[in-house]
Amino acid sequence: MIELAQVVQAPKIDYQGLAPLFSTIGGSLAVLMIGLFRGRFVQRTLVPAVAALALLVAMGMTIANWEAGDSRPIIEGALAIDTLALFMSMLFYVTGLATVALSLRSDVQREVGAGEYMALLLGAISGMVVLAGAENMVTLFVGFELLSIPLYVLSAGYVRRAHSLEAGLKYLVVGSVGSATLLYGLALLYGATGSTDFRAMAIAIGDTVAVTDPLLLTGVALAATGLAFKASVAPFHQWTPDVYEGAPTPITSFMAVATKVAAFAVTLRLFDYALSDAQVQWGPALAALATVTIVIGNAGAIAQSSLKRMLAWSGVAQAGYLLAGVVVGTQLGLQATAFYLAAYLFMNVAAFAVVIACERVSEHGDGIESLRDLGRASPLLAWPMTIAMLALAGFPATAGFIGKFYLIEAVVAGDYAWLGIVIVVGSMISLVYYLRVIAVMWMGRFEVELPSFPPRRVKAVAGRSPEADARAQPEVASVAILAAAATIFFGIVPSPLFDLVSDVGTSFGGLV
Amino acid sequence: MLTIHLSIVVFLPLAAALLAALLPARVGRWLVVGAMAGVLGYAIAMIADYEAGTAGLKYVTDDNWISELGVRYQLGVDGLNLFLIALTALLWVPSTLWGAARISERPKLFLFHMALAETAVLGAFCAQDLALFVVFFDLMLVPFYFLVGQWGGGDRVRATTKLLIYTLVGSLLMLAGAIALGVLSAGGGDISFSFAVLEQRTLGEGTQQWIFCLFAAAFLVKAPLFPFHGWVVDTYRATPTPVLVVLSAVVSKVGVYGFLRIVLPILPDASAYFQDLMLVLAVFSILYGSVLAFSQEEPRLVVAYSSIAQLGFIVLGIFSLTDLGSQGALMQMVNHGLVVAPLFFIIAALSARAAGPATLEQMGGMALRAPVLAALFLVVTFATLAMPGSPNFVGEILILFGAFDDKFVYGAVGILGVVLAAVYMLRIFQRSMHNRAGPGVKPAELGSLELAAILPVAAVVVALGVYPQLVLDRTERATTTKVAPALTAAGASDSEISEAK
Amino acid sequence: MLKSYLPALVFLVLGVGVGVAFTFANSLLGPKRPSKVKSEPYESGLPSDVRKSFRFGVSFYLVAMLFILFDIEVVFLYPIAVRLEEVGTFALIETVVFIVLLAIAFVHVWRRGALEWK
Repeated sequence: MIELAQVVQAPKIDYQGLAPLFSTIGGSLAVLMIGLFRGRFVQRTLVPAVAALALLVAMGMTIANWEAGDSRPIIEGALAIDTLALFMSMLFYVTGLATVALSLRSDVQREVGAGEYMALLLGAISGMVVLAGAENMVTLFVGFELLSIPLYVLSAGYVRRAHSLEAGLKYLVVGSVGSATLLYGLALLYGATGSTDFRAMAIAIGDTVAVTDPLLLTGVALAATGLAFKASVAPFHQWTPDVYEGAPTPITSFMAVATKVAAFAVTLRLFDYALSDAQVQWGPALAALATVTIVIGNAGAIAQSSLKRMLAWSGVAQAGYLLAGVVVGTQLGLQATAFYLAAYLFMNVAAFAVVIACERVSEHGDGIESLRDLGRASPLLAWPMTIAMLALAGFPATAGFIGKFYLIEAVVAGDYAWLGIVIVVGSMISLVYYLRVIAVMWMGRFEVELPSFPPRRVKAVAGRSPEADARAQPEVASVAILAAAATIFFGIVPSPLFDLVSDVGTSFGGLV
Repeated sequence: MLTIHLSIVVFLPLAAALLAALLPARVGRWLVVGAMAGVLGYAIAMIADYEAGTAGLKYVTDDNWISELGVRYQLGVDGLNLFLIALTALLWVPSTLWGAARISERPKLFLFHMALAETAVLGAFCAQDLALFVVFFDLMLVPFYFLVGQWGGGDRVRATTKLLIYTLVGSLLMLAGAIALGVLSAGGGDISFSFAVLEQRTLGEGTQQWIFCLFAAAFLVKAPLFPFHGWVVDTYRATPTPVLVVLSAVVSKVGVYGFLRIVLPILPDASAYFQDLMLVLAVFSILYGSVLAFSQEEPRLVVAYSSIAQLGFIVLGIFSLTDLGSQGALMQMVNHGLVVAPLFFIIAALSARAAGPATLEQMGGMALRAPVLAALFLVVTFATLAMPGSPNFVGEILILFGAFDDKFVYGAVGILGVVLAAVYMLRIFQRSMHNRAGPGVKPAELGSLELAAILPVAAVVVALGVYPQLVLDRTERATTTKVAPALTAAGASDSEISEAK
Repeated sequence: MLKSYLPALVFLVLGVGVGVAFTFANSLLGPKRPSKVKSEPYESGLPSDVRKSFRFGVSFYLVAMLFILFDIEVVFLYPIAVRLEEVGTFALIETVVFIVLLAIAFVHVWRRGALEWK
């Protein structure tokens, strides 16, 4: 009896480390309750304000917890915090804040109910935070599901539109397949290493279990596949364009950024920490996956006329670049991936904010035509979009360039020089579709199918008052401008971000 | 010795343009042009201050930029880039002036992109760190993409897309090459991209060779040389005159400058290995450009193809891997920039006076009515076809000496290029100036703006023709040291071959 | 390593094999005398009212789901109740938190009108 009592002994809990999570979960419950009250003030102002407050508090606590070095457990054997988890958490919160701002005027909030909408959003963020700090395969899976399920609901946010429902259903089905595959992989990893704890797994591999053990490798392959679904790494990316297109755009931007960050946070931890000794085995496989992803993502984006679909495909390609940083399994690779994730956040948030602003006033919806002559109509939106596109394509003086530079340096230093060339070739292909967006905004008539079409002098756009449009949604424009400014700032003065990232590099003690 | 902060020189135009964006357009444009004139003042001061025969960098700025990546913010001037910086500073003033006076659509944005372009080009020339060079080299494309795409004529979007994709494909390959160079040459030690450090480090021959190919892709597209010139025709047709002036006169030089600054000293073995291939490309470009220049009806395209030929000459000089050849190449870079700029302004003036589309058909008979125009055109034409007494004569003769020194055949073909240049330049001069005036040609003398743009540059051409030592004395030491490693490598491989025989 | 899975495989094959065998044996060996009345669904001896196009109201599913949710979550309270003394206050606090969460969910469901039959 006494032995049993010891087994169920209360775990040691570091409440300060857990505080950000309390803030987001508490915020989620609070907005759910507040949302039950009717009234314009509550629905339009109070609920988003409380959600934003919860995120800000979580951010503050995350900053207070920041400390370089090896990971510290906050719930024995389940959750840990280290700079990697905290850095990724900051990215989730920033994306969350941007999403709250972008959703303010969105009719999806009214359709779902403001309380439920924000509660699900905060729930998903909590799941991501758990995922980023998971020290254990069980926690990993709990976090994975906590992040996924609210997103299934949110992508079907437009309950009365078949398109949105289709997106939600598709995401649910594909996501479940991904989860199942991941779970199967984790089970096999447990079978091979005899532990669900990452640290114990890392010790077991190469010691009690050979790196060539078939059970281990099958587990690695299945777990990688499950995570690849979430990160939309090809060939497990097919759901991405459809879901991104059908989901409400603020949610799309949240999924495009935060979900990808979360998926890579856990991929980094699983591969560069728990499985790092088997790098010789999974490195080439992931490199092949990265190559395929870069090529397919970029090729797929070329033919798109919907901005959301285009950004979805571009997100697939970017996942390929990010995966290259995981492949090498070095500290440099870890840092480069973390840096690129931050850059990726700013670039994509800026782009999506502009898409949201334009699709609300344009008859073309999220078609590329909605940006026609934006440079003249509304430069405050056109510049952020231009900067985002240039940064995604990897032009210098943007964070995208530094990020790509860092990634290529990491892969070359990790003996994968050819992967650096693949990244570069991918960037070349990507020019075609990124530049098309810029051309539409700034260069008047532009026909993709008929390149020799005689250009027309640009005329003032009728029925569109640039100042009024920009003023009508100041929060969207400011998100776009802030994100674009950050993209430029970190492209010219990257050292603040580098300081954070070099702290992140110390997360996994054994990594070279 | 003066104290010159190169950061101020490089970023002055951009800062002025950002400030001008907040001011009314009428004030703003003078601010930007004034800043560019300030840069020109700096450049003249540097030339005056630079003592002949100096070796090594001057006015060095060396700060940490991204220490984690081993990238430094390192700027400096030596004989290699001194005159290219001056060329940039000189040509940006008339171009921007022209644009500020003639462009009415979104003028502030135009000036901003022009200023950004100047900053990027100056940065690429001044950079003494490979990564910084790549940054400026790529950044250069952004303003030109907008300048052509927004203010161009004809099929501008197609032209600008083509321009950007062509050149960026090269640039991105160079990015990969640059990173590989920095990482692999460090051999596990501290990664550095500084030119001075990279020149000291050694790389295996195989590694050098593939990195060479990546760099060559960027520089040859930028120049452009013969098989990489697909963007030229569309771009030269669509680009507005002031942009075309700097694009053709200055930006094309960044590519060939890269060969002298980066490829020869840092990848000497690969330079020797690929010497013959590069010479073949150079000679092909000379012939191809000259022949096509002869058959064009649009004066802009005549100059476009002649530029391909001229850049062929420059590459011929560089890859002769001799002191004379590379010095001639550097001289010729400056010369080509100086003659191409007034040529494009003159062509713009001619087109404005022509009836209908700007083809040679529609021009003619202007010499009598517009003698100043004709005289300036003649000066520039003579310089282009390398008349003795012109700076181009000095440049080309040095290049040919360099080529004859070791690679006789290539030199012989090069001479053919000189002859062809005379043919096509005289043809365009005759048909626009002498022939009977076409119907509807309005032969009028140059306006004050046109004169202000053309005359100073033409004056510099004449001055350099009289006193080429100004350039030669200050560049000699720099070119010699940059060629030396490749020269040694080429000599070593030659002696190996003769030993084998 | 893999050898230890052999018994499991044998068990799997045997299990599936026996099940399949008996199912088929039944339909092969048993007598079949079908009639209309026999194949009708049984409904307290009354003629069946069920037609092919019959659909349950969506409220059935909602209520069923909510029942499962709250019912099963309450089951978690039993093990804690049995061991409460050994684990101490920590478990008590945990339990309270758990119940509060349930209550919040319940309030939400109730206020949103999911318990009203429509």
